[in-house]
Amino acid sequence: MSEAQTLEVEVTAIEQVTPLIKHFKLRPVAGESMPAFSGGSHIVVVMRTPTRVYRNPYSLLSPPHRLESYEIGVRRMDESRGGSHFMHDRVRVGTRLEIAHPVNLFALDKIARKHVLIAGGIGITPFMAHLEDLHEGRVPYELHYSVRGREHAAFLPRILQRTGERVRMYYDSEGQSIDFDGLLSHQPLGTHVYVCGPAGMIDRVAATAREWGWPDSHIHWEQFSAPPVGDAFEVFLARSKMTVHVAPDQSLLESIEAQGVEVPYLCRGGVCGFCQTRVLEVDGELIHNDHFLSDAEKAKRNTIMPCVSRARCKSLVLDL
Amino acid sequence: MLVTGIKSKPVYAPLRADTGGRYHLMLGKGIGNVALMRVLRELQSAAPQALGRTRVLLIPEQTPATTAALPVPPADPPVSDARPENFAALGLEALREFSDVPSLLREFRSLLDGALMGTRLYVAGPESFIGLAMKIALEFDLNKDEIRAEELGTSARRVYCIHCRATTEDVRTNIVRCVDCGSWLLVRDHYSRRLAAYMGVMVDAEAPGELPQIKEVFV
Repeated sequence: MSEAQTLEVEVTAIEQVTPLIKHFKLRPVAGESMPAFSGGSHIVVVMRTPTRVYRNPYSLLSPPHRLESYEIGVRRMDESRGGSHFMHDRVRVGTRLEIAHPVNLFALDKIARKHVLIAGGIGITPFMAHLEDLHEGRVPYELHYSVRGREHAAFLPRILQRTGERVRMYYDSEGQSIDFDGLLSHQPLGTHVYVCGPAGMIDRVAATAREWGWPDSHIHWEQFSAPPVGDAFEVFLARSKMTVHVAPDQSLLESIEAQGVEVPYLCRGGVCGFCQTRVLEVDGELIHNDHFLSDAEKAKRNTIMPCVSRARCKSLVLDL
Repeated sequence: MLVTGIKSKPVYAPLRADTGGRYHLMLGKGIGNVALMRVLRELQSAAPQALGRTRVLLIPEQTPATTAALPVPPADPPVSDARPENFAALGLEALREFSDVPSLLREFRSLLDGALMGTRLYVAGPESFIGLAMKIALEFDLNKDEIRAEELGTSARRVYCIHCRATTEDVRTNIVRCVDCGSWLLVRDHYSRRLAAYMGVMVDAEAPGELPQIKEVFV
């Protein structure tokens, strides 16, 4: 994705929907409607501050058939590198932002006979758009939505309106938790499970499903990991012939972009594999934080996902 | 003439037990039962408890005596492990024998109706048998990770007439007369999983009655 493909949008409404989550509405600055998207899509919001540029992925939670505006939900992260704090503290109604076109890495399986949706906290957002499609379809589904407490149940009125009886709520504060074994051991053939939430929840759903014999092709998950912080390091871009300094709280991708070198990307969360870059030389350790490369590929030390991965090294040379 | 190299022609591989599955459903016809027994033995040594969650539907190998009026001398019993009593001795969750494909497939469909995620399907037998089973499995959204099939037995084809939509069964020749409209059809390698049949296209449309040599090619 290059900067030329971004759209300018204006924030038309902001609502604090839970103590941690704000709900934003974005409308196009030029033209009447936003580009069409499918349920499960995300956009990347570009936030320009005087010191640096953040690009964070957010799922679109508005109904896919309504394109007069996009809606996103942003959770204020405790240890934000700055992106979510920027959205929470600096963005006002009327603020203009740039966004990248929607990309879908979390679509529903089209021929599934049943969908089981599992959301944890802010992980509800991609399902909001899915529910709009499911509401009109004939495929049975159930939604299991787990949050810390009642005050954290973002978008619940809207969900209830769409799903009625098919949502089941779990409140940590009341000692309720999802019984993954019970949920995944008795699903009919042709069921697909989708999970979006904290890493621990995703791991448990995937592990439990596999234990009960589900093939990976029926297990879907999405999590945009924020780029983890780490030690500063330097990287040499072989084709651009320049050295780039990567600060502790800056991702490799952001540092490279800040020098004006474009790297194709889609998710910026270590999921899609789009920004995969060849490592030509490394004297030290690559710290792979993505969910895309297999362990075997990681062990080869010849490729890296600059959106979330880093290095602890004396030198690193990339094919850029 | 068959237009070979068409990618839709299914390719099957020898069956292997998938111990990642929780339930196992196996369909066998004729010599295909030998492959099922091989997989069951594999399962028995790798995950013995899985046999209690395994259901097997079989069509035993036909004896030639059913069609022949000639007195058939008792053939040497095949040195095969795939005899019904050997299946029965395995302690399977269910073992059913059938005498024809439609009744086996009816039972298969009703089992799929109640089957759970975690089920693996194994099919072994002639290609047309595999195709019909796959067609039903597809309706239940079973995908390639959940199905394995091994082709054993005749490669006679089901041929779909693209002109009248009738299906001619048990085709062994490169050119066949459509069972319904009577067109002479060239049997292509173009396979439809949805129809579980190869496409048959009128071979003498340009010059009626002029047929290439008819040869037995699917034995």
